[in-house]
Amino acid sequence: MSDKCSCEQPLVPTVVEVVDIQDETPDVKSFYCRLSEGGVPFNVAPGQCAMVSYLPVGEGMFSCTWQEGQEYLQFAIKKVGLLTDELHAIEVGQKLGVRGPYGNGFPVEECKGKDMLFIAGGIGLAPLRSFIKYCFKHREDYGKITIVYGSRSYADLCFKEELFNEWPAIKDTEVYVTIDNPEEGWDGHVGFVPAYVEEINPNPQGVIAVTCGPPIMIKFVLQSLEKMGYSDDQVITTLEMRMKCGIGKCGRCNIGSEYICLDGPVFTLTQLKQLPQEW
Amino acid sequence: MKILSKDKVERVLDKLAESAEVFVPLSRANSSGFYSWKTRNPEKEQLMLETLNVYLSPKNVGFPQTEKMYSIIQSGTEAQIKETFEDSSPRIIFGLRACDARAIRCLDDVFLTRGYEDSFYKARRDNMVLIGQACYEPGPNCFCQAMGVDPLEPEVDIVIRDCGDKGYIWETKTPKGEELTTSISNLLEEKELKAPEAKAFQTQVDYEGVAEKLKGMFEHPIWEDLSSNCQNCGICTYVCPSCHCFDIQVKSWGEEGYRFRCWDSCMYGEYTAEAGGGNPRPTTKERFRNRFLHKLEFFSERYGYPLCTGCGRCIVACPTGINIVNIINEVKEASVDV
Ligand code: SF4
Ligand code: SF4
Repeated sequence: MSDKCSCEQPLVPTVVEVVDIQDETPDVKSFYCRLSEGGVPFNVAPGQCAMVSYLPVGEGMFSCTWQEGQEYLQFAIKKVGLLTDELHAIEVGQKLGVRGPYGNGFPVEECKGKDMLFIAGGIGLAPLRSFIKYCFKHREDYGKITIVYGSRSYADLCFKEELFNEWPAIKDTEVYVTIDNPEEGWDGHVGFVPAYVEEINPNPQGVIAVTCGPPIMIKFVLQSLEKMGYSDDQVITTLEMRMKCGIGKCGRCNIGSEYICLDGPVFTLTQLKQLPQEW
Repeated sequence: MKILSKDKVERVLDKLAESAEVFVPLSRANSSGFYSWKTRNPEKEQLMLETLNVYLSPKNVGFPQTEKMYSIIQSGTEAQIKETFEDSSPRIIFGLRACDARAIRCLDDVFLTRGYEDSFYKARRDNMVLIGQACYEPGPNCFCQAMGVDPLEPEVDIVIRDCGDKGYIWETKTPKGEELTTSISNLLEEKELKAPEAKAFQTQVDYEGVAEKLKGMFEHPIWEDLSSNCQNCGICTYVCPSCHCFDIQVKSWGEEGYRFRCWDSCMYGEYTAEAGGGNPRPTTKERFRNRFLHKLEFFSERYGYPLCTGCGRCIVACPTGINIVNIINEVKEASVDV
C-alpha cells in the first residue's frame, strides 16, 4: 500500500469498525478504527488526512494518525457541528466509512538531522502528534525536540498521558505546556502560546518549526517566529480547512491556484506567502 | 468528403439513438438546452442546430446536476456500502459548439488528471462521443477566440460544418469518431462542398496578459467595485459549461440512504463555511473575486489555459448585468502599483 490513495473509486469509502473510543477532553474524543477482518484500509503518512463518513449523516476531513505496524487508524475529533456531534454519540463497535489518505503530509525526510520545534494549540496538536510520534520512532534521525502546547484550560489539553509522562521522559526532549487562564490546581505556565514561545525563545539555528492550531494562534505564532529570527523556509504549518472531496475536484478548498487537500495541507511559510492571503 | 444532407439529420439522430442516449440542442419550455433526442416531445420541441448557444450547456451530460454515488445501509452499529452507481451507458452529444467542447476539456482535466480519476465522471466520459459544430457567424456575446478557442475547430470526435441548403460537411477526427461514422455511413453522401467564410466577432476583448496581471491584483480595490451589484444568486455558475464545483450530500430514510453529489456554487456563503464557524470568504467581494480569479488566473496557473471558454452564457443570464468581458477589460485598464 502506498500513502496516496490509488483506488479506482476515490470518492467511495471503505467500511471500518470503531474498536476503541477515548475521551481526550470534554469536547475531543479519539476514535480507533480498523477493518473488521483486522488491519487498516490504507497507510497514512504523518500530516495526511482522511475522510470519516458516518454513513447516513455526513463526511468530514480529519487529520489521521497511523504508524507502521499499527493495526488501526486514529482520529482525534473535536465536537464542532452536526457530524462531529453525531460522532461523539457513537459507541465502540460502530461501523464507519473512511477514505483517503489525502494531502502531502509533513516533509519528514527533509527534516532529518534538524532540531524540531513543535508549536500547537488545542486540537491542533492532533496533526503535529503524528509527526512527533514519527520523530520519536526514528529518534536518532532528529536532533533536539521541543514541544510547546497550549489550550484554554487543563481539561482542554489533549493527549495528557503523552504530554506529561511519555514525551518528557524521552531523551533530548523538552515539553512546555500552558493554559490560557489561571486555574486551581495548575502550577504550570499560564498565558497564550505565541507569548510563551517568545518567552522560551528557542534559538533558530538548525531548527525546523512546525505549527498548528486555531487560525488566529497560527498567525501570531508565525509573527513570533519571525521576530525570533526564523526564516520562512524554517517554518511549516498545516491548514485543514473546508475540504470536501479530498481529491482536488470539488473546488472549495483552494487558496489561489493551490488546493489544500491535494497540494497541502502542509505548507512552508515561504509557500504560504506566495499565495493570496485567504487562510 | 463526407456530407450529411439536411433532410437526413433526423434519420441519423434516430439511428444513433438506437444504441446511445443522444443529446441535441432543443427548445424546451421557452428556453433551450441539450436534451435526449429519443424522449423529446416532437410537437413542442424543435431541434436548434442553427442557434449558436442554447441557453443551457451540455455540462450535465458528463456531470449531472445531481448524481447518486452509492447507496448505504446502516442498522444499529452495522453499516455497509450497498452499491455504487457509475453510469457507463453510451452517450452522444450532437451539435455542441467549440466553447462547450473546450468546457468538456476543462472538466476532463479537473476530473481525470492531477493524481485522481473521478470514477463517476470517468464512466460517463469514456463512453461519450462528441459531434461538434463549427461556428462561422459568432453571436453577440461570443468571445471564445479571445479565450484561446478556435470556433472552426471544436475539440471533438466529429466536426460538422453547416454549408446551408447543401448540407453539413462531416469530418471525422478521432478513432471514436471513426467508429460512429462507420455505423451511419449509409446515411452520408460523398461529394465536395465548400465551407462558408467565417465572419468577424462582434464582441472584442483582449485576454492577453490578464492571467499574469491578476497575480498582482488580489488586494486591488477593483473587486469591491466590480462586485457591488452581484446578488450572489449563483446563476452564472450554473449556466457556465466549465464551472465544476460540487457538494457531496446524503439522503437517508430509516436504515437506508444514498450519497449523492450536486453542483455547488462558489457564490454561496455556505460553500466555504467551516464546521467550526469560520469562513475565509465571508462576503460577496471575496466570493466574486474568487470566481473570476479562478476563471481567469488560478485555472490557467494549474492547467495552462483559462476556465472561461467565452460562451457568453453568464452574460445573458446575470440578473444584474455583470459581464465577464467588461471585467477582463477593467482588469486590463486597472492601474497596479508595483
Ligand atoms: S449571476 Fe450575476 S448576480 Fe448572480 S452570482 Fe453571478 S455575477 Fe452575481
Ligand atoms: S464564465 Fe461565462 S462566458 Fe466564460 S465559460 Fe462560463 S458562462 Fe461562458
